[in-house]
Amino acid sequence: MKTFKTLLKTEGKLSLRGLDMFIFAICMPIVVVIILGAVFGDKPAFDGAEYTFLEQSFGAVSTIAICAGGVMGLPLVVSDYRSRKILKRFKVTPTDPALILAVQVAIYALYSLASLILVYATGALFFGFQLKGSLLPFLGAYLLVMLSMFSIGVLVGGIAPNTKIAGAAASLLYFPMLIFSGATLPYEVMPSAFQKAADILPLTQGIKLLKAASLGLPMNRVFIPIMVMIVIAVICISISLRFFKWE
Amino acid sequence: METTIEVKELCKSYAQIKAIENINISICRGEVFGLLGANGAGKSTAIECILGTKKQDSGTVSILGMNPKKNRKKLFERVGVQFQEANYQEKIRVDELCEVTASLYKNTLDYGVLLEQFGLYEKSKSLVSELSGGQKQRLFIVLALIPDPEVVFLDELTTGLDARARREVWRSLSQLKEKGITILLTSHFMDEVETLCDRIMILKNGESIFCGSVKEAVEASPYEKFEDAYLWYTDGEGEYENI
Repeated sequence: MKTFKTLLKTEGKLSLRGLDMFIFAICMPIVVVIILGAVFGDKPAFDGAEYTFLEQSFGAVSTIAICAGGVMGLPLVVSDYRSRKILKRFKVTPTDPALILAVQVAIYALYSLASLILVYATGALFFGFQLKGSLLPFLGAYLLVMLSMFSIGVLVGGIAPNTKIAGAAASLLYFPMLIFSGATLPYEVMPSAFQKAADILPLTQGIKLLKAASLGLPMNRVFIPIMVMIVIAVICISISLRFFKWE
Repeated sequence: METTIEVKELCKSYAQIKAIENINISICRGEVFGLLGANGAGKSTAIECILGTKKQDSGTVSILGMNPKKNRKKLFERVGVQFQEANYQEKIRVDELCEVTASLYKNTLDYGVLLEQFGLYEKSKSLVSELSGGQKQRLFIVLALIPDPEVVFLDELTTGLDARARREVWRSLSQLKEKGITILLTSHFMDEVETLCDRIMILKNGESIFCGSVKEAVEASPYEKFEDAYLWYTDGEGEYENI
């Protein structure tokens, strides 16, 4: 526990010193909420909808940090620490190298939760946002989406042969999901052809789940997204456990 | 004398190429042992097999009476390691790297005192990446010493350092020797080996071609200077098998 705390403190400081996550996971979601709130105000999501456009988008915006941490931050840090032989150095200490990975996962989870709170606060303070659904199912769904996206990141970082390939793979995952899954550009305003293409992105499914949970829509309508999240997590975690490269 | 590192009939090959073959090493407590040889002679492979970060094909290794793979957690409370390349995070500061390293062990020395001893205390708040070569290497010795080890592994500690920085590092190592720490090091500098090592092993194409003291090495060769003797031992095809 002493080791975990010290590592968390130091790795957290190093991550903040890097600024990327502060910009992409903390500032960016707040900016998106402000833009959506300013453009759509408290207009209903569609004619006759019981919820506003911003309420509909809340789940989506809350995943921007998960996406940044999961498929950009994690793959980069894992492959970086491998190429710097930091993981290998841990092997000649009494501490398991898996601990430093656990610390990284914890840091990105903290970024995501901080972003969730800030997005909620911004929406509530300035645009009268309310969570229509109940809190616990929403948090459960949020953690499931996080688990699923983070497992993709650890897998990519864990099997990429070098930092260049990890970086390229991270960009290939991050930018399409950030733009087309609905996290920034609302899924609902996309043409239907776009929507069909976006549906194959894992994060799109995660956002559908969070949208339903945040609006309090019946969860049986999002059975497929839930299954997609679970299956992705199971597959990525098993492949990581089997093929993770420590050096 | 008590044996702290015991290696018996260690063999390791990659694909069809033999990296090390039938290496036997026995190091006593407080001894400084130098592992020498050209690039690709098998030094790093030997060290990694001894540390358990690579799996040997055959042979046994025991450090402080323990198997480095089976008793990893227990053994590495008492063993300090410095690898060839620096292994630290990009934006980490000296004191942070020391603090993190200390957190990995149960019993540690006060790294503030160690930094002081190695003339790095005023660099505590500097980024590790901004230290000079000599300062970095001294920091890596500090890191290897944080667990208050009985055995220390140092891989090419002074490669890339200027003459003055190398002398600084030598002085530091002599201090460790006085404390009775067993040191296994690799080096490309024969003056350094002559100054520091009680015994040496010269590897060529993965095999031990000499094991004994520097003096014995010179006596068994037709030369009077150790560097000449070393070149004579390792001479031959002079091929570099980058392994």
